[in-house]
Amino acid sequence: MSPTHDGAATVAVADYPLSSRRPELLRTPSGKTLDDITLEAVLEKRVTAEDLRITPETLELQAQIAEQTERPQMAANLRRAGELTRVPDERLLEIYAALRPGASTKDQLLAIARELEERHAAPVNAALVREAADVYERRDCLAADD
Amino acid sequence: MTALRAPDPQTKASKRTEALEARPVNLDGFVDEWPEVGLVAMDSPNDPEPSIGVEDGRVVEMDGRTRDQFDFLDQFIADTAIDAATAEASMAIDAGEIAHMLVDPRTPRTDVLRVVRGLTPAKILAVVKTMNVVEMMMAMQKMRARRTPSNQAHCTSARDNPLQVAADAAEGALRGFDEVETTLGIVRYAPLVALGLQVGAQVGRGGVLTQCALEEATELRLGLRGLTTYAETISVYGTEKVFIDGDDTPWSKAFLASAYASRGIKMRFTSGTGSEVQMGNAEGKSMLYLEIRCILMAKGAGVQGLQNGSISCIGVPGAVPAGIRAVLAENLVASMVDLEVASGNDQTFSHSDMRRTARLLMQFLPGTDLICSGYSACPNYDNMFAGSNVDCEDYDDWNTIQRDLQVDGGLRHVDEREILAVRDKAARAMQAVFEQLGLPAITDAEVEAVTYAHGSNDLPPRDVLEDLKGAQMLMDEGITGLDVVRALEAGGFRDVAESLLALLRQRVGGDLLHTAAIVGHDGEAVSAVNAPNDYAGPGTGYRPEGARWEEMKRLRHTVSPSNPEA
Amino acid sequence: MTMTTTAPPPAHALDVSERGPAAQGSRHDEVVVALSPAFGGFFTRTIVDVPHGSVLRELFAGIEEEGASLRVIRVTHSADLAIVAFAGAKLSGSGIGVGVLSRGTTVIHQRDLPRLSNLELFPQAPLLDLETFRAIGRNAARYAKGETPQPVPVRNDFMARPRWQAKAALLHNKEMEFVRSGKPVELEVAIGR
Repeated sequence: MSPTHDGAATVAVADYPLSSRRPELLRTPSGKTLDDITLEAVLEKRVTAEDLRITPETLELQAQIAEQTERPQMAANLRRAGELTRVPDERLLEIYAALRPGASTKDQLLAIARELEERHAAPVNAALVREAADVYERRDCLAADD
Repeated sequence: MTALRAPDPQTKASKRTEALEARPVNLDGFVDEWPEVGLVAMDSPNDPEPSIGVEDGRVVEMDGRTRDQFDFLDQFIADTAIDAATAEASMAIDAGEIAHMLVDPRTPRTDVLRVVRGLTPAKILAVVKTMNVVEMMMAMQKMRARRTPSNQAHCTSARDNPLQVAADAAEGALRGFDEVETTLGIVRYAPLVALGLQVGAQVGRGGVLTQCALEEATELRLGLRGLTTYAETISVYGTEKVFIDGDDTPWSKAFLASAYASRGIKMRFTSGTGSEVQMGNAEGKSMLYLEIRCILMAKGAGVQGLQNGSISCIGVPGAVPAGIRAVLAENLVASMVDLEVASGNDQTFSHSDMRRTARLLMQFLPGTDLICSGYSACPNYDNMFAGSNVDCEDYDDWNTIQRDLQVDGGLRHVDEREILAVRDKAARAMQAVFEQLGLPAITDAEVEAVTYAHGSNDLPPRDVLEDLKGAQMLMDEGITGLDVVRALEAGGFRDVAESLLALLRQRVGGDLLHTAAIVGHDGEAVSAVNAPNDYAGPGTGYRPEGARWEEMKRLRHTVSPSNPEA
Repeated sequence: MTMTTTAPPPAHALDVSERGPAAQGSRHDEVVVALSPAFGGFFTRTIVDVPHGSVLRELFAGIEEEGASLRVIRVTHSADLAIVAFAGAKLSGSGIGVGVLSRGTTVIHQRDLPRLSNLELFPQAPLLDLETFRAIGRNAARYAKGETPQPVPVRNDFMARPRWQAKAALLHNKEMEFVRSGKPVELEVAIGR
C-alpha cells in the first residue's frame, strides 16, 4: 500500500511489523525516522525521550491492521490512544485518577470531557468520559457535590 | 457372615492412614462448596440464564437483565464486548454445538471467534460447562492467539536487591523467557529494581520485555519513563462492588488502556477466579461466571491481552471441587475472545508436587501465549509475588518434561559456563550503570557473589537507606530509559546499550501493541498478526522441530552413545 | 515444605458485653481496639485456632506495657478490615486504632490517613501468633504516644496461600453474615485466666 493522494497512508496485514516492513511510513513526533534513532544520536542527545514516542498517524496505521485482523475493539483503543498522544504525561495521570470511583463530581467529569475536546482535540475520549459521568451517576460512583 | 467390628480411628489410626496424613497434599486447604456466597467454581444456582435482546443495533437485554437493571459491568460489556449485529444468531446456537466447534480441529479458529463475539457471559459459561479438561486443552491448542507458546518469569528479591534481579533476569532471558516481571517489598525501591530487570534482561537476550508490578498510576509512570517496556498489573473484577473496592471502574481502566497505547507501550489486564468471593462480594455467582465478565470487560476495552488463571487467588478455586477445571476454562475463554493469555501458574498452589504439576499441565500441554505469568526465576523464598507454582529449582524438571513429551514450554537447558557469563556480565553492567548515574556503588565482591548466588541469602546486604536515596534521585532527576542507554555505553557495555535502545525504539512503531506480541530473536515483533495460530489438527500448527527440538533434547545429564563413560 | 502450625495456646475465656454506642475518646494516649462483627461471638478463634481471648489478652498487655490507655469497640456495619480499623481510629482520643477481624487479620490505623492506607498491616492471619499480637499492641501504644516505632517484623510464608487462602475466604463470607447496620458499640471485655 502506498500513501493516498491526501498524504494519509493505508496499510495491510502483510505490512506488519511496520518497523521492519514499512519503516518509511513511521516518524517520531519530531519528524525523525527509525533510522535516525541510532546510539550515536542518543549519545549526542540529538535523540531525546520525546522522540521515543508513537504518533497518532502511526496509531492509525496500527488501528487499520487491528481492523483487518477483526479486532474492532483494539482498533478503537488505538484510535483513542492516538488522541491521547496530545495529552501531557502528568495530565494523563490526573485524568485517570479523576475517573476512579468516587473521585469526581459529574461537573468535574464533564469539565474534563470539554478539556479533552477543546484543548486536546480528543472527541472520542471526551465521549468516553461523558459516558462515564452518566454511568457513575446512575450507579452512584460520583463524588458528593461540594 | 460376621459383623464388622467398628474400631475407633480417634484412638488408633492405621499405619496407612499415618502415611497418607504425612503426604504434602494434606497440608493444602480444601473447603466445601458454598454457592450462596459464590464459593463454588463454575456452577452456582445464582448464575443467570443466557439471554439476549437487541434493538436498533444495541443490546437492550443480557442474561435476564434489561438495560435499566444493568450494573456498570453489564453496561460496559453489552455496549463494547458483544457484537450486537451477530448476537442473536450466535446466541441461538446450542451451547454444546459451540463447544463442538471449539474442540473440532476442522473448524477454523476464526470461525469460532465469529460466533463467540456474539455471546453473553452466561452463554459462554454454558459452553465451557459442557467441556471436560481434555476437551478444553484441545480447544486451547487451537484458540491460543500466537502460533508459538512462550513463557514469562518473575525476577524479585526478598531484599529488593537490584543486582540479584539483574542477574536472574539475565539468566532467565538466556534460558528462554520472553517477558520478565518484578515487584517490590519496599515500593520506594522500584526505580532501581526496574532498572536492574531491564539491564539484566537485555544482557541475557536483547528484546526481552520487562515490567514492574505496582499500583496502577505508579506502574504507568515507570512505563512512561522507559524504565519498563510493558505493563500487566491492571486489575479488573467481576462484580461492581469489588471493582469499586479495587478503586477503578471499566471506564477508568479503558482510559488507562488507551493511555499506555498512546505511548506505544504493550499492556494487558489482569483478573482471575476467586477474587470476588475472597473480597466477600461475589453476589452468589460462581467464580467462573464472574471471571467471564472480567474477560469480556477486557475485550471491550480493546486491550490486546489478559493475565488470568486465578493468579493471586489460586488458593480459592484450588480448594473447591472442579476449581482447576474452572481455571483452565478461564484461560480458554480469554483465548475464545481472541485475547493474548498469560495463563497463571504463577503463584504457590500446592504443597504436593503431583498436584502442582497436574495444575501446570493444563496450560503446558496445549500451550498458551505465556504459560506462566510468571515462573519464578528466583528461589521461591525470594519471590515477592508470594511464591510461584514453579521456581528456579524446577528448571531441570521443566526441561525434562518438555523433552519427555516433545512439548515446547519455552525454556531450554543452558550450560553453566554460559549462565555464569551472563550473570557476571549483567552484574558488571549494573555496576557501570550505577557508577554512571551516581547511584550507591556496587562492589566487585557483590558482582562475584551474585554471579554464583542462588538467592538473596547468598548476597552481601546493601545499604538500603542509601539505595532508597538513589531511587528517589532517579525519580527526582527524571532519569529515563535513554539515560540508561547512555550509561551503559559510557560504562563499556555498548552491545547492551544497543539492545535496550532497539527495545525502546519499538514504541515508535507500535508493533508490540498487537495481540500476543513479543520480540523475536531477530529483534522483530512476533504476534498474532504475523504469526497467527494455524493449528488445524494432527500434523498442523506449531510443533517443536529442527533446531528448537535439538535444543530441547539437551539436559544436564545424558549418557552419550559415542562416549558413555564421559 | 513449609507448614504453618501453632501449638495450641492456653485458652483464655472471653466474655464480651455491649455497653451502648461507642463514644468519642478524649484521652490523648488512648488506643481503640476495634473488633469485627463476629469476633468473640460466633467466632471464638482465629484461622489458626488462636483463641480470641488470648489475642485480646496479648494486645491489651502490649498496650499496657507501654503505659497507654485502651478502649474496645465493636464495628457492626462492616467486616472490611480497613473500615473496622478506621472506625476505631476515628473514635480514638489519640487517633490510633487497631482493627482485628475474627480470622485474626490485623491493622494499626490512624485517623488522619486515607481509609485504604495504614500504619502497619498484618494481612497474613495464619502467621500471627501471640507474640506478634503483643508486639502490635506495643507499637499501637507507641504511635498513640506520638513515637515512631520500628514496624513489627512480619514473617513471610510462601506456602500460606495453598493452605489458608480458601479458608480465609470462607471465614470472611461467614463473618459478613453478621454485618448489620448501626454505629460502633462500646464493649466491656473480661478475659479469664
